[in-house]
Amino acid sequence: MQGKYLTNLLRAKETGLIVVILALGTLLSIFGGTVTQRVRDPETGRVTGQVQVNKFLQPMNIDIILKNSSWTAVMAVGATMLIISGGIDLSIGGIYCLAAVCGAMLLRWLGPSGAHADASPIWVVPLAIALTMTVGMLCGLANGLMVVLLKVHPFIITLGTMSIFRGIAFVTTQAQAVTDYPEVFGQMFRHTMGDFTLLPIAMVVMVGLAGYVFLQHTVLGRSAYAVGGNETASMYSGIRVSRVKVLVFALAGLAGGIAAVITLGTFGSADSSTGRGYELDVIAAAVVGGASLSGGRGTALGAVLGAIVIQLIANGIVILEIDQNYTEIIKGAVIILAVVMDRVSTAMNERRLVRA
Amino acid sequence: MGSALLRFENITKRFPGVTALEGVTFDVAAGECHALVGENGAGKSTLGKLVAGIYQPDDGRILFDGRPADFGSPLDAARAGIRIVHQELAFCPNLSVAENLFLGQMPSACGFVRRQEMERQARARLSDVGLSINPHAPMNKLSTAQEQLVQIAVAVGQKARVVIFDEPTSSLSPAEAERLFAIIGRLKADGVTILYVSHHLSEIMRLTDRVTVLRDGRCINTLRTSTTSPDEIVRLMIGRPLGDYYPTHVGAQRGPALLRVRGLSSPGKFEDISFDVHAGEIVGLAGLVGAGRSEIAQAIFGIEPAAQGTIEVEERPVVLRDPRNAIEHGIGLLPEDRKRQGLVLTMDCKANLTLAMLDRLRGGWLLDRRSERAVAQEYFGWLRIRAPSIDAPVAGLSGGNQQKVALAKWLARKCRVLMLDEPTRGVDVGAKAEIHALIDALAAEGRAVLLISSDLPEVLNLSTRILVLCQGRLVGELARDEATQEKLMRLMANVPAV
Repeated sequence: MQGKYLTNLLRAKETGLIVVILALGTLLSIFGGTVTQRVRDPETGRVTGQVQVNKFLQPMNIDIILKNSSWTAVMAVGATMLIISGGIDLSIGGIYCLAAVCGAMLLRWLGPSGAHADASPIWVVPLAIALTMTVGMLCGLANGLMVVLLKVHPFIITLGTMSIFRGIAFVTTQAQAVTDYPEVFGQMFRHTMGDFTLLPIAMVVMVGLAGYVFLQHTVLGRSAYAVGGNETASMYSGIRVSRVKVLVFALAGLAGGIAAVITLGTFGSADSSTGRGYELDVIAAAVVGGASLSGGRGTALGAVLGAIVIQLIANGIVILEIDQNYTEIIKGAVIILAVVMDRVSTAMNERRLVRA
Repeated sequence: MGSALLRFENITKRFPGVTALEGVTFDVAAGECHALVGENGAGKSTLGKLVAGIYQPDDGRILFDGRPADFGSPLDAARAGIRIVHQELAFCPNLSVAENLFLGQMPSACGFVRRQEMERQARARLSDVGLSINPHAPMNKLSTAQEQLVQIAVAVGQKARVVIFDEPTSSLSPAEAERLFAIIGRLKADGVTILYVSHHLSEIMRLTDRVTVLRDGRCINTLRTSTTSPDEIVRLMIGRPLGDYYPTHVGAQRGPALLRVRGLSSPGKFEDISFDVHAGEIVGLAGLVGAGRSEIAQAIFGIEPAAQGTIEVEERPVVLRDPRNAIEHGIGLLPEDRKRQGLVLTMDCKANLTLAMLDRLRGGWLLDRRSERAVAQEYFGWLRIRAPSIDAPVAGLSGGNQQKVALAKWLARKCRVLMLDEPTRGVDVGAKAEIHALIDALAAEGRAVLLISSDLPEVLNLSTRILVLCQGRLVGELARDEATQEKLMRLMANVPAV
């Protein structure tokens, strides 16, 4: 029984990615070298000495990787759902930006120098979060409705809305950064436990779990796999294909909204260039995580791990002190490599299942 | 008549699960018009495609002009002067008519297309086949008949030595067909050898010099057209001993009409179709390819609802706008094309099996995965689906087992009206017998089954009664006792009884 559990674990789709992450981590731990860290007295905060710690394998660095991958990971879970259903969203960076800007404007209005500085944080914070998420979802919904009603390929629709959403953000902010939020909002997101920033990491875990439940345990999730795998056969099986597509677009937008909440909390600022180019990072994370652009394949856990892999590469370049100018080249190469490896392992896995 | 221009020696061609041709040997003389006839699936089209280099034989050889013809590709065959007019039309719909006419050999100078030259030649070729359309028109704006004529123009315009026509009149009106016959007459006068694949015996009697009859992938005989008769040809086409792998027909009690169709019409596809299917009955729907069989089933299922007519399910009138409506009324359709319409090949067996019943596996928002597994296990057992497990990807199963999964989808949904479109196409003999037994059992349990099949013995042995379609109209109904292959074939091909 235990042996079977172990083999199942080894054969899970995400195992390959975990191996990649562990391998990258090991390499970085070995070749990254050490860095000198000051030791402070926990009571007085005075520097009492110095220690040598591993550059990569230390809580602060791990926290940076997790925190910096959190918004990509959240959006990648949404993008994975969409890619599974045969769609694609190039506007996710725009959605993220518009949602962040809308949330930021509400927060500023309720913030220290805003019109309602006296508002109680007990409803300010939930309200801002709800607004940001709703804006994201509505943007996704608009994408989905246009794809279905205008019968235009999602690539084209979201290529258009990519500029529209960002353009709306540009006009509403008048190209200014929106800052100055209630103190408590930022504190919440910067709250640490030990060396780890709690909320962004917790949100990734929650979104990842929600994505897993949606894809594996709901009727809509199953329908998304079916529609992406074979739209005609899904229609012949009585699945409402259009409805599935619209809802999944809305969920992908919602993920963009949630990611925007994390950014607002972490950086305390949003402007019309927030998240520029993120759509490609998000799609890359989804694809590295095993989502197939031809539809029908992908997992939520894979998306989260994919985002971590991409962040790990960026981190590795810093750790190994490689010339920063090479970052994009290395990132691109790793994306292609990861997808090719995934293709090969999926093919092998399927051959085994057929033969068994 | 000249000497043999084409000689088939022991040609064998196998596809996964089926042997399309087995040991076929015959000659085609230079300059003759040679017909290939046989039932659906007898191997006529396969043979045509072998000559045209689209398929390669697994065994045996084709001699062209006395030399072995190893055509690795259609281009090789084309270079040797062999042209084919396909049954399925193969074009680039986004390109213009002229570009399609010259696909692969556009008149060019240093890599640049000579547009005016191309247009001039295109006009000449189109007028040859009696088409007066603008060569600049995009291909996708043409009617099926026009496309067919363009394809004929492609084939005949290139100094061909052999032209293969594969069911060329299937989408032509009588007037257009006449034009085609005139073209064929002209080709013959020019000494071109013609291989004419058709179901339509009247055309064959009129056009051809000799007829080769194929049955179940074997060459039965080659006859002189002038000394034979449609009767003899029909007899040779169907003269197979009936298979003994059919279940003894249970002959269930005939219950109430579960499906009643009245005056169903869809322009260009079928007209004024009326029939009933009762509980416990298997009603066969026979007809040649293109007679409108699948279209009727798809109209009932709500995929392309008919323009006119009424449908009653369990004696209540219903409007079926999409498959979901139809499924909610207990109708299931096992579609013709398993891989395109029947299964989601990226998913595993159990997900495919439960795809049409997801709304019944719902507990709130969640999918009841335990019930799903139980349902999948149940039908795996009942239908004896041979797969490693219910979690195995459906793409890896054999055709027969895939078909069982596709069928199980409707049984799991508890559909009472089952429309089965080619339920045993591309299925091996063993699984075929199992599926036949299953269909019989399903009817015996009180379901109403509409069986569409090109396999005549299948229709004859399973059906309680048989409806015959010809060119979109119901032309006859045969009770089980009076139905014979010969009668069916005559009705299907519109050959009057002797």
